[in-house]
Amino acid sequence: MERDLISKKELLDEKGISYGQLYRWKRKQLIPEEWFIRKSTFTGQETFFPKDLILARIDKIMNMKDDLSLDELAGKLSPLLPDYEMRKIDLMKRNIVSSVVLQRFASGDSDKVVYSFEFLLYFYVVDKLLQAGEMSMEEGEQLLQTMREHFPKFNGKPCDLVFIRKMGVSSFALISVPAEFYFESGVKLIARLSVTECIEQLKGKLV
Amino acid sequence: MDQSIKPDLVINGVSSAWGGEYGKVKIDGVGTVQSNISSVTFDANGMTKIKGDLISEELDSDGLMKVEGHLSAGKSIIDGHMTVKGSLRGEQLKLNGVLNVGGDCEIEVFDAEGAFVVKGLLNAGRMNVRLHGRGKAREIGVEFIQVRQASKSAWSRLWRWMLPKFTPELHAVAIEGDDIDLEYTEADVVRGNRVIIGKGCNIGKVEYRSELKVHPSAKVGKGVKTGG
Repeated sequence: MERDLISKKELLDEKGISYGQLYRWKRKQLIPEEWFIRKSTFTGQETFFPKDLILARIDKIMNMKDDLSLDELAGKLSPLLPDYEMRKIDLMKRNIVSSVVLQRFASGDSDKVVYSFEFLLYFYVVDKLLQAGEMSMEEGEQLLQTMREHFPKFNGKPCDLVFIRKMGVSSFALISVPAEFYFESGVKLIARLSVTECIEQLKGKLV
Repeated sequence: MDQSIKPDLVINGVSSAWGGEYGKVKIDGVGTVQSNISSVTFDANGMTKIKGDLISEELDSDGLMKVEGHLSAGKSIIDGHMTVKGSLRGEQLKLNGVLNVGGDCEIEVFDAEGAFVVKGLLNAGRMNVRLHGRGKAREIGVEFIQVRQASKSAWSRLWRWMLPKFTPELHAVAIEGDDIDLEYTEADVVRGNRVIIGKGCNIGKVEYRSELKVHPSAKVGKGVKTGG
């Protein structure tokens, strides 16, 4: 698919930022190198950016730069988690996450709520396990809680989700990979899911 | 062994060593590092060759130095000749001599006296250049840039006569920044907020937002005011 591109000059005019700021953000690695696309035009070489990505990123930087230093900001914008955001209504429309999940876990949010990529990921993982028929709705709640609480701690490092059950009592764990683990007898490993893989799958669906 | 205590590396004379993590590195003479190396301080005198990446908080190089990978240094002082095949990244860089970078160059504060070639993008916060020889970069992106020619001595004139490469001029395809103050510069495009085109410049096109000053002897193809 051909991406919508925006030239550097248009970008600066639209956002009211200067060349210096843009280069500064690039130096601080707030804007990834891959987004700088060089193309030749009739006026010579020009730099272009993927429009949706760069506009969202610049809004984010401008919103947050008053509260955080640029270095702190760089940590926030983890390169592993892409900067996709989506409104709940679009999420339903595009059928990325089944409506059952949204009804159950996000019924409190209005249609216009914008979810960050992390949130989309949580829903996606829950949806995946539910669809596989391995998990009940109640457990889904538990999983969502676990992801929300502990996933950010990995800070973009790869991790696996482990779902076990013993005598009907279920529990979830997030572990960094590679890791080996062994359980006492009677524990049933129901699912082990690579979150990194889920991120990739989800990215594929969003683009 | 306590992991926080890193060994030092000292080379005197002609020798080579493997890379790794070091505290202090001091090389006097002809030293070769065979692989990637990281250190807290790196002090090189003489001829130094690194067959990999160099990461150091402080770098002091006198003489000839060649890095075949990437160079990343917090604060560096380079006197002499430095070649980096990969990219160069740093907080502060003071150059007295010649710098060659194969990839991109990202420095917060760049003070250069001498000559340089950057094959990729030269991205700096503040950049002060005093040219003795030719400065060249494909693209320059800065917050502030000032380019001056170093005072002409009889020697430099001789050099220039022998080797046209030593003409103290800055060449770039594009220069973009907030504050741009140029002399003896040749560029296709200059884009900035406040732009001063001084003597000896030959610029194809200038796009400015707030201010443009052109020295009478400078050649500017077209000056365009853009934005608000």
